[in-house]
Amino acid sequence: MSERHNRGGYRKRYYPRDRDDYDERRHETPDDKLKTSIIKLGEVDPVEEIPRVEQSIRDHLPRNIPLLSEALLIGVTEQPYKIPFYAALLRLLHNPSEAAVTEESPLGRLVLEDFWKGFQSYVDKVAWRETRLCIHFFAHLTVAKLVSIDSMFSLLRSFTTVLDEFGVSHGRAKRAALCAGEGLLMAGTILQAESPSGVEEIINAINVYVDTTAQQKWLVCPSSRISSQDIPTLNTVELLDVLLSSLTALNESDFKEIENCVPQPYKKYPEIDSATLTPYVLPVVLVPPEIIELDSMSADSGEEAPVKQEEWPEFLSRLFPEDVSPDPNTPHGYVLRTALLDIIDIFEVNRKECARLLLEYPKWNLPGTFKPKPGAPATTDPLPAKDWQLESTVIETVLGAYMILPESSKKSIYYIALITELCKLSPSTVGPAVGKSIRKLYASLSDGLDVESARRFAEWFAVHMSNFGFAWVWKEWVPDLSLPVQHPRRAFMRRAVEFEIRLAYHERIMKTLPESMQAPDAYTIPKQAPGPAYEYEDPSNPHHDAAQAVLNLFRGRAKAEDVVAHLDSLKSSLENAEEGHDSVDSIVRSIVVQSLLHIGSRSFSHFLNAVERYLSLLRNLASGGTSSGSTANSEAKADILTASASFWKHNRQMVGIVFDKLMQYQIVDPTDVVAWTFLNGVTVGQLAELGKPMNLSAFEWDLLRGALDKANGRVTSARRKVTTLKKEDDDARARVKARADENMDLDAEPKDEADDAPKEAPPTDNAALTTALKAFSSLTKEQKTALSKTLEGFVKCLAPSSTDAHANPHARTVITEEAWNNRANWDRDEWNAWETWGWYRQFCRAYAPYLRTYSTTLYTVSFAKFDHAKDPAAELLKLIWNIGTGQET
Amino acid sequence: MAHVVSPLDQPSNYKDSQSRVDRQRQNDLLAKSATLYIGNLSFYTTEEQIYELFAKCTSPEDGGGIKRIIMGLDRNTRTPCGFCFVEYYTHAEALASMRYVSGTKLDERIIRCDLDLGYKEGRQFGRGKSGGQVRDEHRQDYDPGRGGWGAQAQRLEIERRREVEERYADAQEGPGAVAGGGGDWKQEDSAAAEKSLKRARSEEEDADTRQGQRAKVDDIEAERM
Repeated sequence: MSERHNRGGYRKRYYPRDRDDYDERRHETPDDKLKTSIIKLGEVDPVEEIPRVEQSIRDHLPRNIPLLSEALLIGVTEQPYKIPFYAALLRLLHNPSEAAVTEESPLGRLVLEDFWKGFQSYVDKVAWRETRLCIHFFAHLTVAKLVSIDSMFSLLRSFTTVLDEFGVSHGRAKRAALCAGEGLLMAGTILQAESPSGVEEIINAINVYVDTTAQQKWLVCPSSRISSQDIPTLNTVELLDVLLSSLTALNESDFKEIENCVPQPYKKYPEIDSATLTPYVLPVVLVPPEIIELDSMSADSGEEAPVKQEEWPEFLSRLFPEDVSPDPNTPHGYVLRTALLDIIDIFEVNRKECARLLLEYPKWNLPGTFKPKPGAPATTDPLPAKDWQLESTVIETVLGAYMILPESSKKSIYYIALITELCKLSPSTVGPAVGKSIRKLYASLSDGLDVESARRFAEWFAVHMSNFGFAWVWKEWVPDLSLPVQHPRRAFMRRAVEFEIRLAYHERIMKTLPESMQAPDAYTIPKQAPGPAYEYEDPSNPHHDAAQAVLNLFRGRAKAEDVVAHLDSLKSSLENAEEGHDSVDSIVRSIVVQSLLHIGSRSFSHFLNAVERYLSLLRNLASGGTSSGSTANSEAKADILTASASFWKHNRQMVGIVFDKLMQYQIVDPTDVVAWTFLNGVTVGQLAELGKPMNLSAFEWDLLRGALDKANGRVTSARRKVTTLKKEDDDARARVKARADENMDLDAEPKDEADDAPKEAPPTDNAALTTALKAFSSLTKEQKTALSKTLEGFVKCLAPSSTDAHANPHARTVITEEAWNNRANWDRDEWNAWETWGWYRQFCRAYAPYLRTYSTTLYTVSFAKFDHAKDPAAELLKLIWNIGTGQET
Repeated sequence: MAHVVSPLDQPSNYKDSQSRVDRQRQNDLLAKSATLYIGNLSFYTTEEQIYELFAKCTSPEDGGGIKRIIMGLDRNTRTPCGFCFVEYYTHAEALASMRYVSGTKLDERIIRCDLDLGYKEGRQFGRGKSGGQVRDEHRQDYDPGRGGWGAQAQRLEIERRREVEERYADAQEGPGAVAGGGGDWKQEDSAAAEKSLKRARSEEEDADTRQGQRAKVDDIEAERM
């Protein structure tokens, strides 16, 4: 009654659009109630609640089997931590009913049969996560003797079959191996007792596949080195590797350990008598073949669509010793980490709930697995060799998922925000775990932590600190200021501070640093806030007056054509004044761009307004419009980029923003940005005066990434557009044809239908389609050029020719083990070269789906020249390229 | 996934009192919207700070990115008054911000995001009596990030940072006051470009024709906005 009262009229008025949940409860039927109680099973105490839910299911008449199996499917696939308890519930539902009605099958069996249909449809849709979690459920049911052992074996085998497919993608093979392997892990005791050889067969199948992935592992392992093909095992482990080592260990000890890893609550109930109830025989499944996206456009464009997929082995990072968090190489470690990973994956839609569920996870596992909360009474004795720290384990797992190379499965900011929520929920316990993780990651920077991992570490650090008052004990890193300026630790400090400033402001961050880090020669934080640098401000600049005049035109909002006219006269006067000076065009471009940016320097919006007002002028400038030769199109664009970067030389964020919008407004192309970055990137920012030899740090990588993503994004959008138009076109044709067919039937007059249909097709659609196809083809070309220029740039940096004036002398020397072991003596150039190599690796793995499309051409352009040279640097470049593009090596 | 928890990317119940679309239509529009309303900003937070945080939800490889940011201004003083609009190129990016950024801190304040129907002329200005946001009219607490005491109680605090105060002094009203941020990629008129490259023409002539062609492109763009 009181509930109804709450929903009085006044509330309705305030919330005219009823909230969904609110609405649902209002119209909740007994069916809905039952479904909810199944989904919510165990929120207080699972073991105690199971018989209660069982009873309410039995009391619910008439029976609604589809409702029960649907609730169970939701429970199993969206709350995998409850799977053992759902298995227990289903076990109870197999007991004969008290009503003593002679039933053919127990209620539980009917539900299971219907549940299977849901599983089958997951398999048909190739919904891997749901499929895998259902297999967990079946594995528990096998242990509970509700599912036939033989049929469980053949279920697992249908997934190991996938591993043998010719040319199977890693993404598919990985998921299939997880399905088979985890099913075996959970049901191992009973499967092994039935058929030790069957178990070995499954383990072998996974093993054989894993053995083929060594090179890919090397490319994406966050602690592997360019100088050695070894894969370090100290701080990182690969998911399939740990699955395999867990299975092998379990197999050697009859899978006994598994009952210490996963709850098996159904074991408490009396065993099913197989004489009265034969176990359910799981029907045979066939995993549908791999969907090869046949691009509808390949015929027109000659190119296949690159499909972005996780194609790489998945490394989990290890930050804590095994008494703090479980060793992932053990069955415990595997089970706990994958359980947490599933929660992180499933609850991405609500990071707050996700954080809560992660911290509540212990209640779903065996008591004593984790240390009790501080202050809470220890209800059970800690289990020997367990008693881990929940918060450390959770943070380690979230960070591991965040750091996956070449990119995490969700956006970086999700993991960052998730850690923030975890800290907010339990600051006193999660905070220290975060601090320890930061120190651990920071320490690993000296041991060759991958450059992309290091970049993400800095990004997380900055956003995290931004959420927690920028409170970090920088003091403890002061001794590291004695390291070379490009040492990864110092690069990290600089980057973290720069990212913090972007999220806050200069003085705010300056305040948080110890004095020794504030000094300009510490190269940690710039002396000044990152403001603009208008080159012509200074009256002593030879072009001060000329620039002032242009600036005044912009300030007075002069018409673009008036500015152009003024620039022409400016040019002639400059030509007269600077005899023999051939860069008058460049000077004019620099004056125009810097003056325009000056007008727009107050904010991002001011910048956009300035650009939009003088868009025609800028495009004219970019086409070499004011230059008399008119051949220097790319030179003009490079000049525009140089002027922009020079204006914002103290503010790298603005350089990125300006470049992005220059591309967006089609003043420059992604290719121009790529070319510019390799030639000039090092001249921007705090260390500009130190940089000289060609190299790439995280900042230049960000510029490259911005350009490549822009090029790729345009192709993606154009492809989408073509697909839509094509579909519309096809539909229109089909309609016309259908109408024609109809008419024909009516007329019953013999007509040449093939001749008739195309005539009636609407020609306007085709014009749109033609334009879209043309755009697609231009953009594809641009994409290819951008990728090709990037590869070329890397090759020039890392295997420079002897004539290259800006070559880093250490590009070739840092790639040996000997050099790496001597890194304590490395200086700026060595670390620069090392970092550039790191970004090359990231380029090859992150853009692999795009590079594969053009691998042959790109290889010829960049590597053919090395074909007969004995050059270790060229060999390494090619090796990384070949692994990235999936070539046989 | 909505069975167990409710997703964070649902729009709130806010209804723009000055918008003439009905609820149903509003919901349809929000289901496609790429624009976010951002609230509870500090008056001192800059567009670049906003850009930095919201860029973390972009998907440039999917044709996305930050299109523009429209800073909410006090109608009278032309100073930021604690809200803004962030416009992406894609709906998915706006949803990502709802999931990952809304409820986290920017400039040490917990900010709130909401899907929005999209910027309309005039919406960059506060609607409170004093020129700022309505919520700041009657605020009782002292909030240094939002000009101290509520607008009617005190506005001395705002003198604190001249730079911030002056930044938007030039803010315009009316159509075209706010930049578009750049539209979709368009095929360049290559024929015209080539022509201007081939023939050595007087520079004035060259510039004029190019201007003309560009102006047309701009018109089309302006209509789309």
